[in-house]
Amino acid sequence: MALISCEGSTSTLQSAGPSAKIIADLWWMMFIGAALIFVLMMMLLALAFRTRPQEQATAGHGRRDIRIWILSFGLGFPVTVLLTLLIYALVIGERLLPRDDPDTVNVGALAQRWTWTFSYRDAPGLRTKDTLHIPAGRPVDVEISSADVIHSFWVPRLAGKLDAIPGRVNVLRIEADKPGSYQGLSAEFAGTGYDDFGFTVTAHDPAGWAAFIGGDAP
Amino acid sequence: MTDLLRILIAPLVWLAAFISVYALHGLLCALQMHGMVLGIPLERLSLVTAYGLAILMQIVLLLAVYRGWPLAPSSEFVRFVSRVTGWTGLMATIWSLLPVMMTTSC
Amino acid sequence: MRALTRHRKLSAIWASEEGFKGWFSTVNHNDLGRMFLMTAFLFFLVGGLLAMLIRAQLATPHSAFAGPDIYNQIFTMHGTIMMFLFAIPTFEGLAIYLLPKMLGTRDLAFPRLTAYGYWCYVFGGAMLLVSMLLGIAPDGGWFMYPPLTGALYSKGINTDFWLIGITFVEISAIAAAVEITVSILKFRAPGMTLARMPIFGWYALITSLMILTGFPPLILGSILLEVERAFGFPFFQAELGGDSLLWQHLFWLFGHPEVYIIFLPAAGVVSTILPVMCRTSLLGYGWIVASMVALAFLSFGLWVHHMFATGIPHMGLAFFSAASTLVAIPTSVQVFAWIGTMWKGRPELHLPMLHIIGFFVTFIIGGLTGVMVAVVPFDWQAHDTAFVTAHLHYVLFGGFVFPMLAGIYYWLPHVSGRKRFFHLGELGFWLIFIGFHVTFLAMHWVGLLGQRRRISTYAPEDGWTQINLISSVGSFVLAIGIAIVMLDIILHALAQRKTRRNPWRAGTLEWAMLLPPPAYNFASLPEVTGRAPLGDDPKLANALARGEGYLGTPRNGWRETLMVDVASGRPEVLVLFPTNTQLPIAMSAVTGLFFLSLLIKVYWVTPLALAGVAALAWRWIWQGGRKNDLAPQTVRPGCDLPHSTAVDRAPGWWGSLFLLIANGTFLGSLLFGFAFLWTIAPGWPPPAWVDASAIEVGAGLLAAGTSATAIRAATRANDAGRPVLPALSIALTATLAMTFCCAALLWRTPAPTEHAYGATLFVLGSYGLFHTLLAVLMVVHLITRVLLGYTSVARRAEFPIIRLWLDYIAMIVALILLIGHMAGWFA
Repeated sequence: MALISCEGSTSTLQSAGPSAKIIADLWWMMFIGAALIFVLMMMLLALAFRTRPQEQATAGHGRRDIRIWILSFGLGFPVTVLLTLLIYALVIGERLLPRDDPDTVNVGALAQRWTWTFSYRDAPGLRTKDTLHIPAGRPVDVEISSADVIHSFWVPRLAGKLDAIPGRVNVLRIEADKPGSYQGLSAEFAGTGYDDFGFTVTAHDPAGWAAFIGGDAP
Repeated sequence: MTDLLRILIAPLVWLAAFISVYALHGLLCALQMHGMVLGIPLERLSLVTAYGLAILMQIVLLLAVYRGWPLAPSSEFVRFVSRVTGWTGLMATIWSLLPVMMTTSC
Repeated sequence: MRALTRHRKLSAIWASEEGFKGWFSTVNHNDLGRMFLMTAFLFFLVGGLLAMLIRAQLATPHSAFAGPDIYNQIFTMHGTIMMFLFAIPTFEGLAIYLLPKMLGTRDLAFPRLTAYGYWCYVFGGAMLLVSMLLGIAPDGGWFMYPPLTGALYSKGINTDFWLIGITFVEISAIAAAVEITVSILKFRAPGMTLARMPIFGWYALITSLMILTGFPPLILGSILLEVERAFGFPFFQAELGGDSLLWQHLFWLFGHPEVYIIFLPAAGVVSTILPVMCRTSLLGYGWIVASMVALAFLSFGLWVHHMFATGIPHMGLAFFSAASTLVAIPTSVQVFAWIGTMWKGRPELHLPMLHIIGFFVTFIIGGLTGVMVAVVPFDWQAHDTAFVTAHLHYVLFGGFVFPMLAGIYYWLPHVSGRKRFFHLGELGFWLIFIGFHVTFLAMHWVGLLGQRRRISTYAPEDGWTQINLISSVGSFVLAIGIAIVMLDIILHALAQRKTRRNPWRAGTLEWAMLLPPPAYNFASLPEVTGRAPLGDDPKLANALARGEGYLGTPRNGWRETLMVDVASGRPEVLVLFPTNTQLPIAMSAVTGLFFLSLLIKVYWVTPLALAGVAALAWRWIWQGGRKNDLAPQTVRPGCDLPHSTAVDRAPGWWGSLFLLIANGTFLGSLLFGFAFLWTIAPGWPPPAWVDASAIEVGAGLLAAGTSATAIRAATRANDAGRPVLPALSIALTATLAMTFCCAALLWRTPAPTEHAYGATLFVLGSYGLFHTLLAVLMVVHLITRVLLGYTSVARRAEFPIIRLWLDYIAMIVALILLIGHMAGWFA
């Protein structure tokens, strides 16, 4: 059992790989946008309480009110913001998909309560438990599956999560910029024992990776 | 009841089209249909065709709503609401199925 | 007749039995609405208590407050109670209490059904509470993903409590939804066109239609999972042709509309109260109606956004991401219409208004984070973390609890007839508001720092300690706020200060009556000419009390009301309601016995309980009959209307129509499941296909066609005064033949425990068999009615109802036989 422990941060914002970086940037962009919209709406709300002359408040400006509040604010404003965001998000989503790349390394990740077993296409027969070894600076496709219930493979500093589902194999593209150790978590509730269910990703420099695949380590 | 149907029909057809295109996409991926027609991958072509059909259907519905076909609405209110929901159906179709033009299918 | 005499006479007719005995036999919406709300509030307190335990557990790292086994039960029950036993029943209670009053009528369409639904809710909810007290509560998370909740990984009875208890409770949701839909469409004050309907009526209508189409997938999912657990049918087991993703599809097909089912009534409360608080009318009534229709439909196209991390291809995700961003637009139309309403009026900061401000601030943040998680790449990081927990609490607490608190304080004088005396409510509001944001704002952050949802503890090195502690402190402030609101309401109930009529100077009809409301609501029904009847005529209440509207003369001990045309509100039919009866509670008790027998696996009781339900249902329907024709009755000078037994579209026809819509959605979900497993699940084709028979399919199709034709012939014969028994005998033969064909399909189905194919086909066949048996019972019922003289040329209402059912059943039997046998031919 891998205890979630000391060295690894699990912050999605301390990105250490291209996918996590793109998503962290996306978050900051959306956060700033959302904050601006929130402030705008709170101002509109507060201004409704300002004192006005009686007749101005009660006189109906039906058409004008509809044009301002429903058509401009209610429809026009969110359509513009959301369409922009949607197209941006679709483009980003495409960039995060596993694409053909001669440099790609393929590994397997099999979850079973409470162990992750990792296998390596470059070294058939090699299995590691609760530690996934990858080369730094190269895209890695993780083929994720489960032997019992649903789990989820998640290394917050490297990329988003993808579920391990019995009977299926899902492929997640991860990449670590630099050699080091990264905390991985299982992010789908799986019963008692879930708290501590995680793993470690060790990213090697080219020499270390060659040594690992060659069977010298770990 | 016809008034209610008039109000609900465009979004209802949107929902049907949306789920059908999603199902078609799932089916195409499951069957792994490959091949090219007119230089376009078969799966992309069928999805885009479905997208076009869905939009066309919404335009026809919108026209019907505006013409008061087959029965005129019973009140100005129903006429207004059904026009807005008619536009909603068209907008929702264009918007929600936009990914057939932009994303990788399987 | 003087107003007081009329009041006494009507009260005698409409009153429920004295004392607590009355609780068990009342069918009046005034009583049942309050009982629903009180029960839902009790469940809210239980759910809130569980929330406190969760926050106590997470306040410190390495917490030893509760072990993971208990903690799993706590968070599962917190979610389950809040969603199923608090939020939905609160909507039901509010709508049951308010709608007849707002719509200007005396009761809901099916008073006994209101009571039946209530007792199903109480008994089902009690099952879950018992499981909690015994320490064997469900522990798989409120969305119960298999295989974790399958028999292999959840061996105890815990999960069964959830599946069976919640299905039992859902009966009440479906019952209330049918009832509310029919009431809004058909039971309004004369002259209330669709355009004049109070806006809350529109919200309740749309919400009910959503319940009718949103809940069946959940009910189906629960049945499938329970059957898998109890009998080993492998619907969700990948190695036997099932797929655990099927559960997720079915669950979220319900689960996302559910969010809007919870939000829409609350938005209806805001749309009702806000204009009153701003001394103006609602801006853009038509736009709001259109936007809630849009919202309702869009919400059915979002379910996969709960499954962004399950490995569905990117284009599939993108559809749902697009639809999820789109759904923000009708919401935005409503929010800006409300802000525009405030600008156009003069907002006054009464207590309900404070809660509406709380709603705005909280819900807008929830909406903004909602757009964030609709973005696929971001959701890959945020999914299943505390960020999502925070988001959903902003949406549900902001979008439901704040409006409900506003509603409580707004309608409290209506329910009690009293004025608020101690002003603790304002303090309560500020504590709730501050407590809530302290609890949940920081939770977004800790989610981004990698704290997963549903963990029972964490280590100090994770760096989440401070945030969690702050969050826990906030939650206790929130709890104190809720306690103060409770105290305020209790003191209110004790204080003896009568309120004046219409204290908020509102324009809707619920204020045009005595406070607290009499059991009959209106001494006479108003003729509505505008959207704010009471605003247009502040003296309306007196005129109605003097009997100046419809049905102003109490007669024959009848509980009378009117049915109107859907669009124009023109009065059409006189309806006589049933009086106090214990039939609903008896029937829900027997229904409970059925569920209990499944829960504790005493299967010999199951058919007995089913037969008991059928017998009581028979009696239920039988009570509506008359042995003599009732001439059209005068409902107002110059206006005579036929009785509901003497029309083609009786209340029962309308109720059946909407029940069948829910039923059809159930079958649709089942067929979706079948198609999904067939095309998507690993582990197909199955080892054996059905041994198809062209003869049986042909016979079944012929029988289906015959039953539909025969019931038509019977209806025509009855209208013409000819004997109907020949046609009904043919219909009976045809329904029996359909029963045989469905039974034969079950017989031919390959062993359902060996592959998901056989399992699904077995469920499909059972669905057909159940309905054909129902058809047999219905035709037998009609024949008995005819033989005993309950029908005549005038008393014809039951023929169209049975015809509607037989049409549906003929259609689904044909469909099921074709689909069932087709598999065998193709393979």
